Amino acid sequence: MVEREKTRTDDVPLDDKAKRMRDLLSSFYNPDHSSAPKPPSDYENLDAINSTSFDPDHYMNVLVQKSNLEGLLRRHVEMAAEIKNLDTDLQMLVYENYNKFISATDAIKWMKSNIVGMQADMEQLLDKIMSVQSRSDGVNTSLFEKREHIEKLHRTRNLLRKVQFIYDLPARLSKCIKSEAYADAVKFYIGAMPIFKAYGDSSFQDCKGASEEAIVTVVKNLQAKLFSDSESIQARAEAAVLLKQLDFPVHSLQAKLLEKLEQSLGDLQLKTVRIENILRESNDPSKQGKPFESIPSTGHEVSVHGFAEAIRAYRVIFPDSESQLIKLAQNLVIKHFEMIKQCVKRRISSANFLGALRTIWTDVLLMDEVLSEASLADFSLEAGQVTVKKYVASTFTYLLQDISDALLKVKVSPKEEAEEHALKLALEASKKAVLQGSMDLLLDFRQLLDDDLGLLVKLREFIVDWVQKGFQDFFRALDDRFLLLSGRKNPSSQDQGLSEGAPGEKVLVGIVLVLAQLSEIAASFSGDGARGYENEHAFASGEIRQIFRSAAEKLLHHYINMRTQRVSTLLRKRFTTPNWVKHKEPREVHMFVDLFVQELRAVQSEVKQILPVGLMRKHHRSDSNGSTNSSRSNALLDDRMTQKGRSQLLETHLAKLFKQKVEIFTKVESTQESVETTIVKLCLKSLQEFVRLKTFNRSGFQQIQLDVQFLRTILREIIEVEDAIDFLLDEVIVAASERCFDPVPLEPPILDKLVQVKLARSKEQSK
Amino acid sequence: MQGGYSGIGYGLKYQSRCISDVKADTDHTSFITGTLSLREENEVHLIRLSSGGTELICEGLFSHSNEIWDLASCPFDQRIFSTVFSNGESYGAAIWQIPELYGQLNSPQLERIASLDEHVGKISCVLWWPSGRHDKLISIDDENLFLWTLDCSKKAAQVQSKQSSSMLHYLSGGAWDPHDINAVATTCESSVQFWDLRTMKKTNAIERAHIRNANYDMKNNHILVTAEDESGIHIWDIRKPKIPVKELPGHTHWTWVVTCNPEYDGLILSAGTDSTVNLWMAPASAEDEATSERLIAESPTQQADPLLNSYGDYEDSVYGLAWSSREPWIFASLSYDGRVVVESVKPFLSRK
Repeated sequence: MVEREKTRTDDVPLDDKAKRMRDLLSSFYNPDHSSAPKPPSDYENLDAINSTSFDPDHYMNVLVQKSNLEGLLRRHVEMAAEIKNLDTDLQMLVYENYNKFISATDAIKWMKSNIVGMQADMEQLLDKIMSVQSRSDGVNTSLFEKREHIEKLHRTRNLLRKVQFIYDLPARLSKCIKSEAYADAVKFYIGAMPIFKAYGDSSFQDCKGASEEAIVTVVKNLQAKLFSDSESIQARAEAAVLLKQLDFPVHSLQAKLLEKLEQSLGDLQLKTVRIENILRESNDPSKQGKPFESIPSTGHEVSVHGFAEAIRAYRVIFPDSESQLIKLAQNLVIKHFEMIKQCVKRRISSANFLGALRTIWTDVLLMDEVLSEASLADFSLEAGQVTVKKYVASTFTYLLQDISDALLKVKVSPKEEAEEHALKLALEASKKAVLQGSMDLLLDFRQLLDDDLGLLVKLREFIVDWVQKGFQDFFRALDDRFLLLSGRKNPSSQDQGLSEGAPGEKVLVGIVLVLAQLSEIAASFSGDGARGYENEHAFASGEIRQIFRSAAEKLLHHYINMRTQRVSTLLRKRFTTPNWVKHKEPREVHMFVDLFVQELRAVQSEVKQILPVGLMRKHHRSDSNGSTNSSRSNALLDDRMTQKGRSQLLETHLAKLFKQKVEIFTKVESTQESVETTIVKLCLKSLQEFVRLKTFNRSGFQQIQLDVQFLRTILREIIEVEDAIDFLLDEVIVAASERCFDPVPLEPPILDKLVQVKLARSKEQSK
Repeated sequence: MQGGYSGIGYGLKYQSRCISDVKADTDHTSFITGTLSLREENEVHLIRLSSGGTELICEGLFSHSNEIWDLASCPFDQRIFSTVFSNGESYGAAIWQIPELYGQLNSPQLERIASLDEHVGKISCVLWWPSGRHDKLISIDDENLFLWTLDCSKKAAQVQSKQSSSMLHYLSGGAWDPHDINAVATTCESSVQFWDLRTMKKTNAIERAHIRNANYDMKNNHILVTAEDESGIHIWDIRKPKIPVKELPGHTHWTWVVTCNPEYDGLILSAGTDSTVNLWMAPASAEDEATSERLIAESPTQQADPLLNSYGDYEDSVYGLAWSSREPWIFASLSYDGRVVVESVKPFLSRK
């Protein structure tokens, strides 16, 4: 292989020429390789005879090696024939090329001879065009003068025509005025304006004056037209446009017109005010009020109509004045609502409120048609929202006022009278105020909701919310008010004597029950609300009820507190004044017992009027888990008195007592019995505590014993005596004996006798 | 009743009204109490809480001839205390010293350091300045306020100054401001009056009826807590004497005594004649008020109940109440039947 390479490189210079020739040819004729004669399969390498990488030596070698002599000979003949063919082909190609070249040369020669003649023709053409140019110039100059003359003449004629027009102008204008063709008049005048401006001071002075005069009348007429309501809007609008064209100060006109509108608006309001007044007056005596619309709407509607028309006209006349009009219309709406607000302040039934709203809404709709850009509907919706909200709020305020009025009225009036039923009346009145008041309120609001007025329909959701929220706030406020009423009364009744202060307490008791009732209302309302409006989100009835329950409880406690406080002062006086260590023998039951009983009776009469009778009377007995009975403790007491080693016994007895510890302070219920016994128990406990703070001699102790014995008897007459009360009475005596140097009790006969005497006397007194 | 059984009990022989924390005893939590028995020999008990905190041990038992209406331990000497006593007809007040014990318990005699015997009427209490060593003492009777100079070494007490209340107001008790050595509050039937001890003049007053007890907040200046017969507990800022800062419902019957915790802010104990002791959490400082207001604004329904606990395991009215200053979560209460109950409020503190 290496050898073969070498031989090939050596052969390159020899082969170069032939190879280039062949390449050229092949590139020129683009021989189709596929059509090349296919060599016999034996000579596979011979295929490459036309390829660039053809190696003749190698070809020869292969040929020689592979072929036999005969084959070689045949191959030789074939080759010789091929070579001959190729030669002839080459020759033919050369000839053809040469022929083409010759014909091309001929064509070039022919073209050259033709172009030489053209130059002369061109020059001739140029000469001719030049001569045409000079001739046309000649014609032009010869005609110039004449043409100028004609133009001058024409201009003069135009001028003359204008002058004529100006001279004719006054006459023409007056003619126009006569025929009311103001538009033409204005057009003419504006046409003449430039001339008047230029020469008005000199040549056309008269003319100018006359025409100006005419125009002034035109302007006057136009203004009159503009302001006259009888003219059609179209005509008035035209008049306005013309006036504007005449450079007339339209703005002042506009302002004037606006003023007129405002004035009419003022009239409208005055009218409506009158209407409202009428409405109110007509409403007050008949309470319920007739349907609002019937009385006022005729006059009112007419005027509103007028206003709407005026606005429409104005808009057409002055198309760019919307903002002012909007302001005006909004003002009207605002004033309307303000009026309602004023009414709302005073107190107004929902029918009236509704009527007023309806009027406004119709007005608004009317104006909205005319002036839709003002979006009066939205605007009034906003204003209405505020108003309705205010209305709701004020209604609640009034209700609150009513209720506290009902309470206060009773508090003030029956000071002196026999007040058996005063309290009951107070309760009834306030109950009614609350129940009826809130029912009416609800009905009113329902009316508001059921109305199909556009404004209200849109506000419905809001109203429901407001009412619910209003109710919540109302109940809270009511709660506060009650607490305030009770709290305010508190210090004064402390300071005043025993006879005063009672009314305040009565109110308290009333309040307790009213509150209980209220909580029921709140509950039922929340149920209604949920059913009626199908959105129960806002109304937290449970919370409200809770508030009222706790308030009721608080007030009940407050009442009990105030009552016991008064007894406490009584007791305090009783125990601080005398010197108990130097007490004299008891002769009769001390006065404080009477006072105490008196207080108790007062409590009882109050409680009886207000509170329900407890059904659980028997139950109470078993409830208080003290199984102590008076006989036992009496026996115990006697024991204690006689024993020598008192202290030790005391201890044991105490221990015994406390094994069956009596629940003294049970939960207060709002029944007659519960409140009464609670007060008695608290007072007796106070009595015990006061006794414990003192030291007694034998007589002092006996006095206490006597007082307690009497109290025990008389309490049984007044109230249901619980075991706890008995126990406390015993405790008072025990406390006194403990605080006594020499606790020797009164002999039972003497004790009985003294008690009987007192009982007889008190019976006498009561007779 | 809940939590009532956690208390540790100790029985006195007779009825009693007063108990006091022995503040000067820094090694032990101890209380001193005295009995109130008209016809028997009365006793003073020095009680110590055992180191495990499970038992009350009697450290000393001393006889005291008269019934004890008021008892106060000296804040700087654990062996000194004062009593107000009565023999049924007349009252007296004295400063006592407990003799050295040396472990024996056979009723040694108390040593009387000084008698405060300038009084005529019913003495209501003797006050020590609660915040530390101070050689002055205050005693209050029906009509007068005495300032004494006490000299323990010389065993003498001298009246330094005296001021009479107007006859209309019987003084019923008092409290010495722990923040101001010259300020004392006295209670009477219709008001709380404030005195400047330097001038012995009235400086201020809270007009409020039937105040039974008053107690200064140890932690916060200007805060005074009062207990009233019927209307519960009020917390006052004494710079604003018109309206109370806060109001607590108190007890079913009279609220007899209130006492502020010496360590924990706003923790108040009250005891009443309804045989209960109530533990309140009612912070009264301005910040707390602001936060509580904010809390209220946030959740009006969830206002925290100020009543942390009510200890109801008493058989009779509770008149005596004392916080331990050594272990401020411990308090001792004393009901009329002579039962001392020591309780820990720890379970309620963690909840705070």
